[in-house]
Amino acid sequence: MTDCASCADERTAGAAFCEVCGQSLAPEPACPHCGTPGGVGDDGYCEHCGMLAGRERDHLETDCGEVAASVTDRGLRHHRNEDAMWLTTRGAEVDVVVSDGVSSSFDPDVASLTAVQAAGELLVSGDVSAAIQAAQVAVAELAASGDPRRQASNPACTIVAATVRGDAVTVGWIGDSRAYWVPDVGPAEQLTEDDSWATHVIALGADPEQAMRDPKAHAITAWLGADAGKITPRTGEFVVGDPGHLVLCSDGLWNYLTDAAAFAAAVREGLREQGTLISAARWLADYANTAGGADNITVALIPVSPAAAS
Amino acid sequence: MTYSAEAFQNEFLALGATEVNAIVTVTSSGGTGGLRTSGATEIIIVDASGSMQAEGRIAAARQAAKAAVACLDDGVHFALVAGVGTAQQLFPAPGQLAVASAQTRSEATWAIDRLHASGGTAMGAWLLLAAQLFAQRPGDIAHAIMLTDGDNGEREGYLQSVLDSIAGKFTVDSRGVGTNWKVSELRKIADAMLGTVDIVARPADLTAAFEQMMTAAMGKTTADVQLKVWTPVNATVRFVKQVEPQVADLTGKRVADGARAGRYPLGAWGAESRDYHVCVDVPPGAAGDEMLAARISVVEGDTVHTQALVRAVWTDDAALSTRINRQVAHYTGQAELADTIQAGIEARKAGDDHTATIKFGRAAQLAHESGNKATSELLATVVDIEDAATGTVRLRRKVAAADEMALDTRSTKTVRVGRGQ
Ligand SMILES: [Zn+2]
Ligand SMILES: [Zn+2]
Repeated sequence: MTDCASCADERTAGAAFCEVCGQSLAPEPACPHCGTPGGVGDDGYCEHCGMLAGRERDHLETDCGEVAASVTDRGLRHHRNEDAMWLTTRGAEVDVVVSDGVSSSFDPDVASLTAVQAAGELLVSGDVSAAIQAAQVAVAELAASGDPRRQASNPACTIVAATVRGDAVTVGWIGDSRAYWVPDVGPAEQLTEDDSWATHVIALGADPEQAMRDPKAHAITAWLGADAGKITPRTGEFVVGDPGHLVLCSDGLWNYLTDAAAFAAAVREGLREQGTLISAARWLADYANTAGGADNITVALIPVSPAAAS
Repeated sequence: MTYSAEAFQNEFLALGATEVNAIVTVTSSGGTGGLRTSGATEIIIVDASGSMQAEGRIAAARQAAKAAVACLDDGVHFALVAGVGTAQQLFPAPGQLAVASAQTRSEATWAIDRLHASGGTAMGAWLLLAAQLFAQRPGDIAHAIMLTDGDNGEREGYLQSVLDSIAGKFTVDSRGVGTNWKVSELRKIADAMLGTVDIVARPADLTAAFEQMMTAAMGKTTADVQLKVWTPVNATVRFVKQVEPQVADLTGKRVADGARAGRYPLGAWGAESRDYHVCVDVPPGAAGDEMLAARISVVEGDTVHTQALVRAVWTDDAALSTRINRQVAHYTGQAELADTIQAGIEARKAGDDHTATIKFGRAAQLAHESGNKATSELLATVVDIEDAATGTVRLRRKVAAADEMALDTRSTKTVRVGRGQ
């Protein structure tokens, strides 16, 4: 006979809650770090080893079946996931947003979450540029609210947003989160151009290899946030001619697959080996973690087919 | 009373780093109109040794004691002790406590006129009598004022043994009048009894000093507040120090509370704010690990008033791990300032002018950098500060004893930094 730990009343066989005090009789979760049963306290830290048991945003998945799927993961080296994602489907229509918090700013995780929500809610209109502008307004407002340290180092993030309407794809971005078009066969295409120091100097004529080796290579030159000033999101749209996948991701994935061909090969391998979109997205996050997981990882997969084929 | 606690720290640690530092600011505000939640007992101990006849000290002490009695709120229990070779109760009858009222305050004033200077100095005996009187009122805010003008005459080690037996039972603010007493002796009492120590060089200033101490004591509304520090397994608390309004090391006052927590006494509280520096050594984590290095609670008995979390997050991003937290840096400097001044005074007394110059130079620099004007001014009475920024000083040939004692007693006074990052 087991007693309720809270009120010591004998438990009714099979009951999930104590009959007397209403406390759950389910065993409390063990600490994932030291294994102490019921070790995790109300504030999320283990009462024995002090380690944070985990956060909700450490690993999230959105599974829209055959229409779309996305995964975001903390990775292995960062203490929290500062990436955020938004994915909604209406029939075959898809709205998708990926954002990566700038870790040197204060509360970057709040910035990215704010950005994907503000942009995601507006994407239904189909105006990607307006959605990103709305995200900029929302993220900029964060500096004047909450923790006073946000004023000294305002929350900031990147954004990449896309809509799929039949065979028409629209993409917009600020920063270095990317979108790719990966056709089932043939060469893949990076749809975005990073707002980064390396991309900037290469465009001005610098040697690409030398530019990429510079410590500043990955420093972003545009972002969302109070100190971003007036932003002009870059956008692109196209109509697909052959079936393939629209892929949005943060640099936590593409840093391990820097050229479009390698990126496409990985996406195709994930899709081929896994069978479902969600497991392929998970496979890509695992790929980045196996390669080192140095940053937060977010990836979204949306299959798109030409109008004639659907 | 309502309490709030806030931790200031850079939680990011480089890989392999194990030392976690945080400044915890505890602020209390009067919940019920600043009313005392318990009774209060005040004991005034006045040195009546023969030396108090000098410089009109005993007359000034009488006047000061009367002023302190006048500050007592109605209903507060109190007693007066005359400190000689033994402890003699001056008011009310031996072994009794009076309840403050217009009548008892006036009777006490008459009794103070009977205070005459003749006899020895026996601080251990004085404090022991106070302890016996306080014991009649358990749970009260218990506070004593002790005035002396000379060295303790008791056998070596006796005062320490008394302090060991009464520590934590009441608070003692000690004042030395003139310059023939030992700072180290009164500091020992202040440290053990969570009180203050200061010099009153001129007897004429005693009344103001007593009024200030008694007014502060009457502002206390809660008797026994403690800081409870929980740390994870395999972690150790390196130190817990009060760092504002003055430096006081509480590390040795830890009383275990369960396997992983300890309580540190904070004494009586009114509506006020104090800062504490907590330093914990934790086992190293991997990149991305987040650990609760300490959970700091402000407690009173079984009641937890408020909590603040001290975290450790390991990162290979040097931009994060090398960030300097202003509060931690500032108070580390203030504690070093107090230590450096005391080391300088020791060296000067030992005739080691070279070391004294280095120490006072560093102190001048620290006081200047942190904007601690009061300490800079006190330093300037002992050394000529040629360049505070570089810590260039010259020892003064002639230093007034009172100035050096003021520097010594007030070296632990700190200033706050502006808040923000
Ligand atoms: Zn644990
Ligand atoms: Zn990233």
